[in-house]
Amino acid sequence: MNTLGVLRQVVAYLVLLVVTFLICFPLIWALSTSLKAPKDVMATPPQLLPPQPTLENYRNLVTGKQQYFRADQSYVPTTAAPQHFMSWFGNSVVVSLGSTAISILISTLAAYSVTRFRYWGRRIVPYFSLLGYMVPSIILVFPLFLVMTELRLTNSLWSLTFGYVSITLPFCMWLLWAFFRSIPIELEEAAMIDGASRLRVFIDIVLPSAAPGIIAAAIFSLIVSWNDFLFARVFINSIENLPLTVGVMHFFEGTHVDWGLMMAAAVLMTVPMAILFMLMQRHLVAGFGAGAVKG
Amino acid sequence: MPFAVAALVFMVYPVAEAVRLAFYHYNPLNPDGTNFAGLDNFRAIAADPLFWQSFRQAAVWTACSIVLQTAIGVALALLLHLPLRGISIFRGLLLFPYIVPTVVIALILQWMLNADVGVVNWSLRGAGLIDENVYWLASPGLAMLSTIALNVWKYTPFVTICVLARLQTIPLELYDAAKVDGAGTFRRFADITLPQLADVLAVVVIFRTIWTFNKFEEIYLLTRGGPGTSTFNLAIYSFEQSVASLKLGVGAATGVVMMGLLFVGSLVYVRVFRFDEEPSQ
Repeated sequence: MNTLGVLRQVVAYLVLLVVTFLICFPLIWALSTSLKAPKDVMATPPQLLPPQPTLENYRNLVTGKQQYFRADQSYVPTTAAPQHFMSWFGNSVVVSLGSTAISILISTLAAYSVTRFRYWGRRIVPYFSLLGYMVPSIILVFPLFLVMTELRLTNSLWSLTFGYVSITLPFCMWLLWAFFRSIPIELEEAAMIDGASRLRVFIDIVLPSAAPGIIAAAIFSLIVSWNDFLFARVFINSIENLPLTVGVMHFFEGTHVDWGLMMAAAVLMTVPMAILFMLMQRHLVAGFGAGAVKG
Repeated sequence: MPFAVAALVFMVYPVAEAVRLAFYHYNPLNPDGTNFAGLDNFRAIAADPLFWQSFRQAAVWTACSIVLQTAIGVALALLLHLPLRGISIFRGLLLFPYIVPTVVIALILQWMLNADVGVVNWSLRGAGLIDENVYWLASPGLAMLSTIALNVWKYTPFVTICVLARLQTIPLELYDAAKVDGAGTFRRFADITLPQLADVLAVVVIFRTIWTFNKFEEIYLLTRGGPGTSTFNLAIYSFEQSVASLKLGVGAATGVVMMGLLFVGSLVYVRVFRFDEEPSQ
């Protein structure tokens, strides 16, 4: 085992602390701003710790209260954005979960089929999925918009759900293909010789051993669809159907930008991803290992 | 099997549509006027100085981002590889930026870089580095710098994770042997660590180059391609052609050019690593 001397350890910890602080500073600063009362947000010198911490910004977002911005003791109404915040949040949740569910369902069954059955063309699927996950969304967004227009789905959450499936499916497919291929087929064959049906074998043997891969694919899919801006910007045009990413841009409307409120929105938007990240860190790294990363 | 077909439909159809669109004149306000354009759209972008400007800017943006990401990413991975107690907490914190939504970091940077009340200008003034407030997002060079900073902040963890995973597989015996031979820390890094990392770094650099070149949100959300067109890349050019000028065909033609470049990138990848092998690990 490689060990370091005490002095070196101290230096290493110091460097780590400084680096971590620098990298996390934008998030720390956002959190700090979001907890400040309006008068402290713009204060000079800016303070890292809010002098009078308040949850008012968060309360206003959650209750959707109409905002007033205090400038020079007078009240100026800001944008209507906070009223929609919770429905944007809901839209983001619905669309992310929906598209992830569809993506995982299709890619799990497709990967199983491609690795377990023999038919013409099964070899090209993984190559297309690799190609598909390299293609940037800017290339896909307008053709898909035209398709959605023909299907009369534009401006609905369905368009986003299906749109995200077309971004997330290729890399779920690629990851799960690699995963299913590495699961030895002998166990399944033995079970089938013993009289188990294919469905039983799939549920009892294949799914449990593929679980880590499926979880990793689901996490990536959730992250991608939660974080997307472009598809939502192009597909959706009514304010109440927006997901968070495009919705929060409405905070820039009006004459004053309420940075405290804005930062509270940014923090709330990050929280679900942070929870996911903490719960799933191990699987996340496993997914990186399999090369299934888009970004 | 039907699911394999469904998967193919979702993966192939949009791309095929994108390519087809590149050969048509298409205006969403007048869909009946759609007609075959041949190579008109490609001629249009080849004759557009903004296209070439976007191309150059994308190249600069990508090169700077990749160099910084790789250098910082490797340094961080080495740091996180140290045998220290509690290192996993630091690992978690340093990898966190990767999952932060681009919108969130763009909002935060706009706030921090705000010329009048932003914390960055205030700190630089306090440190005596600048006398007057700097307009980060309103001057071309600095706007480019800011978008590079955003990109590096968000995607360096990707490099770190890949390098870290590889570092953990380097046999410790190599280092012990080198120590016995009297090699110093730097020698050991240059002669053992770097050659071992070469293959994973090649993969990471190729993939990051392909994706970074085509990034949209990282620039658009911070500067909208501005001020003026000083931070346009091909993705933003394509977006503006489609949304602002309503020339979806021209936008799609730009997309086809981007895909061509991407394809060249993938060929490099295939060349470096034989395609039918498992990706790293």
